[in-house]
Amino acid sequence: MAILNITYNGMSADYGRPIDDRSSDADVRRYAVEIVRSGGLRGLCIANLANDAFDYYVVDRFDGPQGQKRIYLRPKVPFGADR
Amino acid sequence: MRIVFCGVGALGSSAAMLCRNLDATLGFVDFDRVESKNLASQAFVKPSVGKNKAEALKLQLSNFHGIKAEAFGVRLTDDNVATLLDKADLVVDCFDNQKSRLLVSGFCRAKPTPLVHAALAADGSFGLVRWDARFVADPEDHEGQATCEGGEHLPLIGLLTATLARSIQDFVKSATERDFMVSLSGVIET
Repeated sequence: MAILNITYNGMSADYGRPIDDRSSDADVRRYAVEIVRSGGLRGLCIANLANDAFDYYVVDRFDGPQGQKRIYLRPKVPFGADR
Repeated sequence: MRIVFCGVGALGSSAAMLCRNLDATLGFVDFDRVESKNLASQAFVKPSVGKNKAEALKLQLSNFHGIKAEAFGVRLTDDNVATLLDKADLVVDCFDNQKSRLLVSGFCRAKPTPLVHAALAADGSFGLVRWDARFVADPEDHEGQATCEGGEHLPLIGLLTATLARSIQDFVKSATERDFMVSLSGVIET
C-alpha cells in the first residue's frame, strides 16, 4: 500500500487512506479525480472536477524517509527560466 | 567549493542571490540576454538590460555584494559541457527545457558530480527541488513554451528559489540531498 499525495491548483495534500502501490498511472489519475470530487483531500474539494483533470500530470513513486511507499501526482515542471 | 548554476533566468538568478553567503565560487552558464520584461521575475537590475545574463549576474554579485563569481555566456552543448562543468563541486540545473537538462544530467552522472534540479510548472502553481538520483526531466508541451511573462508567478518563484537555496546550503554544510515539492500552500519535503 502507498500514501497518495495530490497537487492541484496550487494546493498539495496527502489522501488519508492508503491505495494499492501497484496501481497503474492511469488508475492513480482516475482515483485522484474521484478523491478530489468527493472532498477526500483536505482543503481541496471540487465537485465538478473534469474527468481529464490529471491526464497530463506526472506520477512519481518514491520510498519515504521511514521506508513507506509514497505516490505523488503532480503537474509537469518543464521550466526553470523566463524567456 | 565551486557551484555552477546552469541557466540564470527566474530560478537560477534568484537562487544564486540566496547563495551569496556561502564560502564558494559561484559560476553561471547562460547564453541569453537580459530583457526589460525579465526585471519583474528575475534578479536583474535595470542597468543590466542588454547584457548577457551570466555576465550581468556576475557583475551584480561582484559590484553590490563583493562576491567572487564566474560567467560563461554561452549555450551549453555536447562540445563544451565538459569544459564548463568539469571543475564544479556542485551543479544546479535551472534550465528551461528538457534537452539541456538531459545534457547536464548525462555529464554529471558520468563524472560523477552532485547535481540538483529546480523546475516550475507552466501555470506557476507548483515547483520541484529534486536531486538527480530521483529526477526525470519533464518535456515542454511544445518547444519554446513560455512561462511567467510579466512576473505573475513571482511569489512562487521566490518560495521555490528559497527552498532551492536551502537545499544547496544543506548540501554544502552536511552533504545531505533534500528533495522538496513547493506550492503556494507550502513546502513538502519528499
